[in-house]
Amino acid sequence: MKFVCMNCETFMLFQKVEKPGEGSLGVEFRCPTCQARFSMVTNPGETQMVAALGVKIGGRTTVPEPFELTRDTLKEGECPVPAVASATSVAAPAETTATGGGSCPFSSMVAAMGEGTGQTALEWSAEALERLEKIPDFVRPTVRAEVEASARKAGQTFVTQAMMDQYKATPGELSWTPDARQRLENIPFFIRPMARKEIERMARERGRTEVTLELMDQAKNAFAKFMGG
Amino acid sequence: MTPSNDLKTILGKLQFPDDAQVMRQIVDQTLQVKMRMGRIKRKIVVMSGKGGVGKSMSTVNLALAFARRGDKVGVLDVDLNGPCVPKMLGMNGQRFQITPEGAVPPVGPLGLRIASMEFFLRDHDAPVRWKGSMELSPVWLGMLEMNVIREFLADIAWGELDLLLADLPPGAAADKPPAIANFLPELDGAVIVTTPSEVTTDVVRRSVVYARDVGIRVIGLLENMSGYHCPRCGHESDLFEGSVETLASDLDIPVLGKIPFDRELSRSCDAGTPLVDAIHPIAKRFDAAAQRIVDCLNFKQILAERL
Repeated sequence: MKFVCMNCETFMLFQKVEKPGEGSLGVEFRCPTCQARFSMVTNPGETQMVAALGVKIGGRTTVPEPFELTRDTLKEGECPVPAVASATSVAAPAETTATGGGSCPFSSMVAAMGEGTGQTALEWSAEALERLEKIPDFVRPTVRAEVEASARKAGQTFVTQAMMDQYKATPGELSWTPDARQRLENIPFFIRPMARKEIERMARERGRTEVTLELMDQAKNAFAKFMGG
Repeated sequence: MTPSNDLKTILGKLQFPDDAQVMRQIVDQTLQVKMRMGRIKRKIVVMSGKGGVGKSMSTVNLALAFARRGDKVGVLDVDLNGPCVPKMLGMNGQRFQITPEGAVPPVGPLGLRIASMEFFLRDHDAPVRWKGSMELSPVWLGMLEMNVIREFLADIAWGELDLLLADLPPGAAADKPPAIANFLPELDGAVIVTTPSEVTTDVVRRSVVYARDVGIRVIGLLENMSGYHCPRCGHESDLFEGSVETLASDLDIPVLGKIPFDRELSRSCDAGTPLVDAIHPIAKRFDAAAQRIVDCLNFKQILAERL
């Protein structure tokens, strides 16, 4: 957020932060050309929200101290060392140019708060979405995540019915030879389902319809390679 | 100068530097967390959708179990408003040592390094109260607490740790688990604590789905109060009708262990004299659960060795 002097066509410069009243914050700006000054005043809720960000208004001028926000903000805490300046009390005007504009206490804040995982959201066809809705709600997010993960892996941005069919067909199709099944018993029982899933995933990736001893050897080698062995 | 009064034209002429450096401050905060967490080999959160299931007790005893294995363990009590890890370890009244390198955490039994809001409070019965108008707390409290948690992750000088266990506050739909997950990009996973009660498992089920939804790997379920351990005869009887197995099977999650209700365990937590001795049957259960956690985290290695 910045303020522009519309008459002088320039950014206004940050001057200082002050506390005009209990729980209130005044952030003063000045136009470098016409010298007009104004103060943006916050209410207590807005002040507290800004303080809760743990950033220094007008830019940081001192090295951060451990737990400065916690120690500053606790009402009845015990501070082992003198408290650092409060988040709302730093008021050093920033070095600026006329075209560069003054420091803004809130710039980038909204963008920073709104940043997600960076993953593009996938679109779902109405039919695929309808089928997803039929799945019990406690497993729906997992199914959605897995379908979307496989779609992303395939470079798709749109989830279709066909992908749901593919997902549905995935589990339970593989058979295990008795000796492969026997060998799975070598794995501790509580992680055996995880092992089974990994091996079956590997089998599917290789176009197999049956888990055999040979595939188990391949899986073992793949895991050893993964572990750097 | 003749003002055009056209904002688009004016802005076209001006540069827009972020000289307030708010973004940079936030990035620096994130980098500080990464730097601290980078020195810790494994990071696990202990959570549950339900309150009162024994998360803190489980965290403390799992930490002791890992310490018995020879690991250097840190415990982060993220329950800002109801910190109880220090009490269970007999560490009430201790303080962080604030140094330029960070806040040095007090050291407890078996060398556990402990961080808790308790260490900031003047008295043991003092509630956590923040400055500012509480009438307006819905506006700022959540953000403040997240940043306080961020400071707990960024500012504690843990040193080299093999494992950090974070005891999360109750509730799956709260903002803490995703915040923690975002703060800990290399989080190894979550241990979910539950009891056999149907009411609890219903809520825990949601928390597992929620954890997965926000990208937290669920390592397994730890069932607390799985029965009553008679101090006289050692016999175990059921406290609840249900069982964790159905939940584990439905959600495809391993069961890490079952901890019966034990009066000695309860007393030890209340008295701040934890069961550090591996001989105790409950300690053995936690040792077994710790081993399973290790196996779950290393399951690909186990496959490579034993398949």
